Amino acid sequence: MKKILQIARREFAATVMTKGFLIGLLIMPLMIGVMAVAMPLLLNFKSPPIKGEIAVIDPTGEVVERLRLQLAPEAFASRRQAMDERLNAAMPGAAQKLAQGSAAQAQIQESLRQVLGEVPDISLSRLSSADGLDAAKERLLRAKSDPGALLAVIVLEPDAVRAGASGAELGGYALYVREKLDDRLIGEVRDAMKTAVVDARLAVRQLDAAEIRAVTKLAYVRPQVVTRDGDLSNGDIAGKLLPMAFMVLIMIAVMTAGQQLMTSTIEEKSSRVVEVLLAAVSPIELMAGKILGQMGVGLLMLLVYGGLLILAMFSFSVMGLIDPWMLFYLFIYFVIAFTTLAALMAAIGAAVNELREAQALLTPVILVAVLPSMLWMPISNDPDSLFATVLSLVPPISPFVMMLRLASSTPPPMWQILLSIALGIAGMLAAVWFAGKVFRIGLLMHGKPPNLATLIRWVRMA
Amino acid sequence: MTNAIVLSDLHKSFGSKQAVRGLELTVPRGALYGVIGPNGAGKSTSLRMILSILFPDRGRIEVLGEDSALKAKDRIGYLPEERGVYRKMAVAEFLHHMGILKGIARDQVKRRAQDWLERVGLPEVGKKKCEELSKGMQQKIQFIAAVIHDPELLILDEPFSGLDPVNMRLLRDLIMAQHQRGATVLFSTHVMHQAEQLCDHIVMLHDGRKVLDDPLTKIRERNAPRAFRLEALDPAVDTMAALSGLPCVGHLAREDGVCRIDLVDDVALDVAAQAIAARVAPSRLELIRPSLEDVFVDIVSQEPMQEQAA
Repeated sequence: MKKILQIARREFAATVMTKGFLIGLLIMPLMIGVMAVAMPLLLNFKSPPIKGEIAVIDPTGEVVERLRLQLAPEAFASRRQAMDERLNAAMPGAAQKLAQGSAAQAQIQESLRQVLGEVPDISLSRLSSADGLDAAKERLLRAKSDPGALLAVIVLEPDAVRAGASGAELGGYALYVREKLDDRLIGEVRDAMKTAVVDARLAVRQLDAAEIRAVTKLAYVRPQVVTRDGDLSNGDIAGKLLPMAFMVLIMIAVMTAGQQLMTSTIEEKSSRVVEVLLAAVSPIELMAGKILGQMGVGLLMLLVYGGLLILAMFSFSVMGLIDPWMLFYLFIYFVIAFTTLAALMAAIGAAVNELREAQALLTPVILVAVLPSMLWMPISNDPDSLFATVLSLVPPISPFVMMLRLASSTPPPMWQILLSIALGIAGMLAAVWFAGKVFRIGLLMHGKPPNLATLIRWVRMA
Repeated sequence: MTNAIVLSDLHKSFGSKQAVRGLELTVPRGALYGVIGPNGAGKSTSLRMILSILFPDRGRIEVLGEDSALKAKDRIGYLPEERGVYRKMAVAEFLHHMGILKGIARDQVKRRAQDWLERVGLPEVGKKKCEELSKGMQQKIQFIAAVIHDPELLILDEPFSGLDPVNMRLLRDLIMAQHQRGATVLFSTHVMHQAEQLCDHIVMLHDGRKVLDDPLTKIRERNAPRAFRLEALDPAVDTMAALSGLPCVGHLAREDGVCRIDLVDDVALDVAAQAIAARVAPSRLELIRPSLEDVFVDIVSQEPMQEQAA
């Protein structure tokens, strides 16, 4: 055991104490941190208030004054308020909980304001019909560098409010803008025009626009799933992202540490240090030590990434989304998934002479690890389907799929969890047995890289 | 005194190739044995089986009183033919790692590694990475890794391959020091004169079979010299003509400008030497001792005949 630990120690240190690994490990949290700090700052600097003039050619005579109302600063503010509410209604339960704290609410408003920029200061001018358009377009061409200059020209069709002589559909409007105009402003102008034109149309028909708006308003509804534990809201984004996060967490840890294990085995074999080691420890001890050491590497990654995830959730006080049992299962399934795949990776590493030769044998192993992420949607949409249930029991994909199901809003029954752990451990032992045999024979074999048939012959031979 | 190694009826095949066939070998404790034979004779395979790195298809192995080397790994040192180091690891760290794997306590291993580095004349390299060392230095480090735990049994597979004469001598001295300390040393080589210089007992393998297993002295005795090399004092003398007809001379030949005289079977060496010197005044008259290589070629060339006879 002492020797296994010594090998594990070396394996861990040799992997972790490299610049490449440390940079790789820290770069993601660092980037997230930089984004969190720098983005608002950058956005703040980037949004100078928009100031300028919009010219309107309005042959109907009904729209321009209504548009003036819609482009007033108060109207901008109230439109943004409404958008805020729409976002809130559509937001997942988790984010809503998060937004309920007043400080958080203010923060969200602030960031929304930052994204949209300051309320624009817009003056409206009315041009007499078509002859003004060419002059106005000329002004748009010259306006690029001139603050307070013309931003856009709106040309209403004569039948935009009242149906014309042909009597069919109502007309619309054309919007000419200068080069490099802020997209957000175009959107807001479009919104304002929509309200102004519709209001004008209603007014000429003697309908009350405010009343119609009130009558047609209906709040966004999210379904409530009725369960024995009470009604739970379903279908929110966080409910889908969290399981994915857990699965990706395991996948990153398993694949990174597994690859490292394979590389270090190939290195030991090709640098011929392996026979020196085999004189001191048995192949099984060597493999066990290496798997243990790389498991430490994987756990370190889990700790860093998972810890950041939990820290983030904690700081937004949405820890309630995570059951402490989840962390326990995360650990158990990580150990099972890692040991199974790592054993196979070690066997591949021992069988080949250089990294290049490993690719052919590696493909099925990588497929196993990647498959669940491809099946994420069907599984998380219906975590209790027969498909998901079967996949969550079959090793070696079971740990990944089970994590998805466990973190979903309808967790699997306990017997399935226990069965998948039991089958997972059985699969793990089988993989270690197989790998141990290949490892023992492969380490001292040089020359032609083996194929799967050769590996199976080795297992029979050992 | 028990034996360090006992092998009986050892067989090992790789696919259709029989690498070792029915090897029997007993190495007493404290002995210095050389296993010689050409490439592919089964030397490395045999050594690996003794170390339980490979397992025999058939046969029994006893190492240091245990039925498998796995139970005695901490008492065995091994320097494989294909040897390497962790290239990115510091030299001292590598030695610590190997020492701990060989059962040395963590608090002692540092001192031992440093002692050894000083002993082989590399006291300064502990902090360097292994890849920064020259090949000769790396071989010294590998030798230290094999002996750092003062093994009772030291197995060296082709220890001299790739060494320059200075390092070869150093390694020979280090091996002798291990032998004098009381360790049993078993090493293989395909360069037979190295075995002649170092060993007190020779085991010769050929084609997976043991063809010779004797003390060096006994081999010398059995293959006693039966030939002289003669250079005449006067270069003008025709030695071949002068010696032909002498009763003790069986065969005459000219080798590299010197006359080789093979004696008839039942003549004493001193009588023959006097008789030769009486016919031709020699500037040089010396006995030709058969080297291990000659012995080996002799044995191998006789073997097919023996097989046919059997």
